[in-house]
Amino acid sequence: MALTTDPDEDLVRRVGQGDPAAIQAMVARKLPRMLALASRMLGDLTEAEDVAQEAMLRAWKQAPRWRPGQAKFDTWLHRVGLNLCYDRLRRRREVPTDTPPDRTDDGPAPDRGLIAAQTGIRVDAALARLPDRQREAIILCHYQELTNIEAASLMSVSVDALESLLSRGRRALRQTLADLAPGHDPGASPSSARAAEGGRT
Amino acid sequence: MKVERFQELAEAYGADLRRWPETDRAAAEALRRAEPVMVERLLFEAAMTDAALHASASPQVSMALRDLVIASATAAGLSHRRMQWIAGRLAWMSGAGWAAAACAGVVFGLNLTTQLTADKQVDAVLYQATMDGVDDTEVLG
Repeated sequence: MALTTDPDEDLVRRVGQGDPAAIQAMVARKLPRMLALASRMLGDLTEAEDVAQEAMLRAWKQAPRWRPGQAKFDTWLHRVGLNLCYDRLRRRREVPTDTPPDRTDDGPAPDRGLIAAQTGIRVDAALARLPDRQREAIILCHYQELTNIEAASLMSVSVDALESLLSRGRRALRQTLADLAPGHDPGASPSSARAAEGGRT
Repeated sequence: MKVERFQELAEAYGADLRRWPETDRAAAEALRRAEPVMVERLLFEAAMTDAALHASASPQVSMALRDLVIASATAAGLSHRRMQWIAGRLAWMSGAGWAAAACAGVVFGLNLTTQLTADKQVDAVLYQATMDGVDDTEVLG
């Protein structure tokens, strides 16, 4: 295996020695990334915090025996975080629940105004509705900013397959969120049309 | 790079060429210069999707979660390793201190013995000087 330049190598070594400053630096560097990954994968902040905490615990256990040069620590940590997310997603499928997802897409509502937070909620909801693999590809490449090779490796697919997943996912998002595009006529949006139709019946 | 490939990459990775695969960036920039109108249109479409994705805010790490994670490092034995290392160093330093003290004691003892022996020899010589018929070698050995 080719040697990999790892920007975290020195930090991991110091963490492995129990250096308190390095532990704090690792938390500052990796915890937000793990929380963002799990939050978007699971769509639930409480579960995401549990996953992020567990991923960091495994990082602490791994650091003293980490062998540099074989893989990037960040990629390894993403593998851990993804596996923890997969476990929880699998459990959800095995245990059906009547509780609806906590994020709903109500569509644009002119009386509520166009505030950024609501746009974000709509985007999150649209992301949550994507097929798992498309969502995962977008999360790894766009939000976690992994390279296409790293993301493809984590997902156990080829780079071509990753690109296909990304394209289909982004296309689906664009269609779902078409009303957010500049110059879009709000009166022509599907949800407005639905609302108007509902008003007539 | 052909326009079709540029479109595929824009649809997959978005409008920011820095997010594209490193191996495609130079060719993409070259096409951008050669076909600016077509390329900018493709990038504009991709940029709208990027903007929507950027609207999703990343969750903030709470202080409670941060503290829990830092505490878990201790639970995982990392701080313990550090303390073990410090304890090891202290033990080594303590051992080295005892060894140094022992060496100092030996040196002091040797010096003291030499000093006492010399005093005894002086006394013996002076005593022998007062006596007749006794050979120096008999006194000093």
